[in-house]
Amino acid sequence: MRNANEVGNVAEIVSLAEGVGRLVHDGDMVALEGFTHLIPHAAGQEIIRQRRRDLTLVRMTPDIVYDQLIGAGCARKLIFSWGGNPGVGSLHRFRDAVQNGHPVPLEIEEHSHAGMANRYVAGASGLPFAVLRGYSGTDLPRHTDTIKQITCPFTGEQLAAVPALNPDVSIIHAQRADRAGNVQIWGLVGVQKEAVLAARRSLVTVEEVVDELEPVPGQLVLPSWAVTCVAEVPHGAHPSYAQGYYERDNAYYEKWDSIGRKRDSFEDWLREKVFTMEGAK
Amino acid sequence: MRTDKTATADEVVAELADGMTIGIGGWGSRRKPMALVRAILRSPVRDLTVVSYGGPDVGLLVAAGKVRRVVFGFVTLDTIPYDPWFGRARQEGSIEVTEYDEGMFAAALSAAAQRLPFLPTRAGLGSDVLRVNPRLRTVRSPYADGEELVAVPAQRLDVAFVHLNRADPHGNAQYLGPDPYFDDLFCLAATRRFVSVEKVVDTATLTEEGPVQSLLLNRSTVDAVVESPHGAHFTTAVPDYGRDERFQRHYAECAKDPGRWPEFADRFLAGDEKAYQHEVTRFTEESR
Repeated sequence: MRNANEVGNVAEIVSLAEGVGRLVHDGDMVALEGFTHLIPHAAGQEIIRQRRRDLTLVRMTPDIVYDQLIGAGCARKLIFSWGGNPGVGSLHRFRDAVQNGHPVPLEIEEHSHAGMANRYVAGASGLPFAVLRGYSGTDLPRHTDTIKQITCPFTGEQLAAVPALNPDVSIIHAQRADRAGNVQIWGLVGVQKEAVLAARRSLVTVEEVVDELEPVPGQLVLPSWAVTCVAEVPHGAHPSYAQGYYERDNAYYEKWDSIGRKRDSFEDWLREKVFTMEGAK
Repeated sequence: MRTDKTATADEVVAELADGMTIGIGGWGSRRKPMALVRAILRSPVRDLTVVSYGGPDVGLLVAAGKVRRVVFGFVTLDTIPYDPWFGRARQEGSIEVTEYDEGMFAAALSAAAQRLPFLPTRAGLGSDVLRVNPRLRTVRSPYADGEELVAVPAQRLDVAFVHLNRADPHGNAQYLGPDPYFDDLFCLAATRRFVSVEKVVDTATLTEEGPVQSLLLNRSTVDAVVESPHGAHFTTAVPDYGRDERFQRHYAECAKDPGRWPEFADRFLAGDEKAYQHEVTRFTEESR
């Protein structure tokens, strides 16, 4: 099922433009993960810049990063749990796409956080589905047909089943990689490991590429052979934060409400902040 | 809420009742809570179901007639392939067994830890594990793939016993060796969780000897802490000490020969933990 790397292959260190160009194709299922922390915003904007279309976007907490991709017309479908601008309000580009089909219609598949995390774990484990206690007493199974019931063969109990997620490409942001492409990540690590291991290809943007990964308490290391490409993108998580590097830019999240609220202001933002950067590394 | 959870081995073992299911952490002949196992040997409890990546813990409990069933991925002494007591009990059919693949064993504990009745796994498919475990079932994917997987039933534990290197009195416990094994999973799957350690230390000093991630157990998953120096003997508790290979060979030789076993049991297992450690010291000195 997975073909991230042939045995013995290691991650290649590339530019962000090259990484997105090589790994993200029109029509792909793409997961950008990072749970409040280390959200790969720079990679998301590079996907917009390269004008990818018909993507199925996957993410726990689609926030500004996906509002931008959806508003730019990159996505055909969103598989998610909880969508919003955290602490601020709605995602207006997401709302416009669902309610008005602007700029293109957006199909949605909504899950719970536990359901999404279990889906990545199943995908990373090579299992077709995961079992959990969840969704019961909610309306989600009525709206989301990928949530099924499964009967425990021992107790007869009804439990929730969710299908494995195996994205074509998963993209995460991490603090550091070494020159061999081993990735080091610490702080809130969300489902980044599972998202990378479940994916056919992966791109990791990092704050810096270093000679040696100094151990950090609570670190998670993704070995080079589990990663397809690494790109050095300082500040690549902004406006989210990178523990040990920079704080969350809360003002940006607040400002996004007025930028994303209107089609015109969003188009201005796209032109000024994304497309004028065309060709930039 | 009790914050000082220190207790003696005999106090925690007194909580056992006949017929209970107990989990024993460690792995083969490595970081086994042997002092707690020896306390079980001294207690009147019987008919236990023992859940273990087994080593001499299983052998000693079988030798003492404490065991009705063993749930295991393997039982080995590492440098000696088989535990003689366990091997003999299996051959004679004097104990019931649930033999799992190691991955299935972990799935059974994971299911219990997540309070799920079962978990699906690929492990065991196409093997005789399904034939020798008629109680195992399969489960079919409810999606288009329709794939059939092994359903592993949750292995809940009444009590978990584990041995680590350090703990504070509140039950935050630390391993300083290379491998956590599945000790955290054993504790998450159990109703009562008892950890023995080489040394009880202040909370603030826990991170002086090892990094934050060596704090394997937190106090919410531990009910009692037993300070038990050399409590893993004769299995490993690196870096505090390695396996006592000479003693393990002696155990295995005596276990192999029913004629010699009473001599071993009388010398090492008839008294309390202090008497055991004293005899071990004498045994070591005899070889010098």
